[in-house]
Amino acid sequence: MIIDGTQEYSVNMGPQHPSTHGVFRMVVHLDGEVVTNVEPKIGYLHRGLEKMAESRTYNQFVPYTDRLDYLAGPHNSLGYVQAVEKLMGIEVPERAEYLRVIFAELGRVASHLFMIASGSLDICGWTPWSYCTRDRERILDLFEMTAGNRMTLNYFRIGGVSHDVPDEFMPALKSFLDDMPEMIEEYYGIFFGNEIAQSRMKSVGILPKELAENLLITGANLRASGVQYDVRKAEPYGIYNRFNFNVPVLYGCDTYDRHFIRLLEIQESRKILQQALRDIPEGPVVAKVPKVIKPQVGKVYHRVENPKGEMGWYIVSNGTTKPARVRIRTGAFVNVQMLPAIVTGWKIQDLVTIFASMDLVLGEVDK
Amino acid sequence: MLNEILRVRVSELADKVTGQVEESLGVLELTINYPYVLEVLTCVKNFPDVPCDFLHDLAGMDLEDHFEVVYQLSSLRGPQRLRIIATVERENPVIDSATPLWKGADFLEREAFDMFGIQFRGHPNLKRIYMWDDFEGYPLRKDYVIDSHERRAMMRVRKEGE
Repeated sequence: MIIDGTQEYSVNMGPQHPSTHGVFRMVVHLDGEVVTNVEPKIGYLHRGLEKMAESRTYNQFVPYTDRLDYLAGPHNSLGYVQAVEKLMGIEVPERAEYLRVIFAELGRVASHLFMIASGSLDICGWTPWSYCTRDRERILDLFEMTAGNRMTLNYFRIGGVSHDVPDEFMPALKSFLDDMPEMIEEYYGIFFGNEIAQSRMKSVGILPKELAENLLITGANLRASGVQYDVRKAEPYGIYNRFNFNVPVLYGCDTYDRHFIRLLEIQESRKILQQALRDIPEGPVVAKVPKVIKPQVGKVYHRVENPKGEMGWYIVSNGTTKPARVRIRTGAFVNVQMLPAIVTGWKIQDLVTIFASMDLVLGEVDK
Repeated sequence: MLNEILRVRVSELADKVTGQVEESLGVLELTINYPYVLEVLTCVKNFPDVPCDFLHDLAGMDLEDHFEVVYQLSSLRGPQRLRIIATVERENPVIDSATPLWKGADFLEREAFDMFGIQFRGHPNLKRIYMWDDFEGYPLRKDYVIDSHERRAMMRVRKEGE
């Protein structure tokens, strides 16, 4: 029997599909090879962190925060501990503030490197994958020598950091920063300047500026759509107002720009790290904080610029040792919504590229 | 300076919708009753000079005798910050959806529905987002019983064709 024309059908992609970077599932509606609609289905990694927070003390919840965006653990904890400090009015020692910035920015570099690596792998570029992960390994070594753990550090505490860095940390960090320009050039040569990569990514999956704002997209994805907005500049938290760095912005709105902006942000992070390394003072690394954390009745909303998007912590205290509510606004969760909006009309192979360019981490999407 | 303009605008608005204005840790907070929410959000989004046009977060909150829906608003072009708290009845938790104003409120409202059972009127696709469809109860409510043994034994029944 011969059937005229094509018939719409739907394919289930994930949650165990390698290109979904975790346990993301999508129902893809197809007309031939062309995507007509995508329904994201999330929740396969839902651990109920918000509910867990209500039955734990403020200090006990810190290790859980690393598990949100596990590729850039430090920045999640930074948001949480700073929110609690804001609620209680705790002053953090200078050295601890600098160490926090160093770890948060290293986490950002590691996350962006991994995003470029996996993005290239999704279009069959094996060499950038191995180059990026090779360099990311040096950051993980820095984490390991300090906190003993490579990804989920649990290094920040309410009032500072848990302990000082070892003596060999600063020289190792300095040598890493010195090698960074060479690495960035290498990534550019092998991935961003590559003709195949460009033809696969340029003008694919356009997310216009107005749509991005209406969909509440944040972070690097928003900046790749032509909005120069960064919480580190707009509402500086910690000591970010002391550093001199730029907020890169690109106007292409496509998959290529969403990858490329990460490379530019790595360069800006390097600037921050160099300044932090230059200015870091000696001194204590943790403030005098009461053993039992018991904030007064009140609420606080604190936002930080996570590598995956803006993260907001809304903490409501009822005056006891356990919070009444901890609300986590994660960037990646809201950013999922751009997938159905931009993928229509592209083929399945482009769907994989577009999905990689959104830089989702399912730990953050599912909380 | 800008904050002063915002304060004036918000207190004018509060008089109109019988809301209360507070300030906590440097953020203006407007508490309103749920029927006014769409009116207030539209007004706030289009404030002259100080538009709070970016919905940063939308979250549910259980206060034992009533629910709250908390909107954290900001702007991509200015330093203005505003928090709007809409109180919702516990017996009949219904509130207008913010999706006509921001498409991105879709997932945030689905999450609040999933976790608190707050119904968003006018939402295009109000289904559970984290929990599976036939899950019973709303986990983030304070009266939700965490009965681990029973819950663990509960298996998800797959529908045909899934």
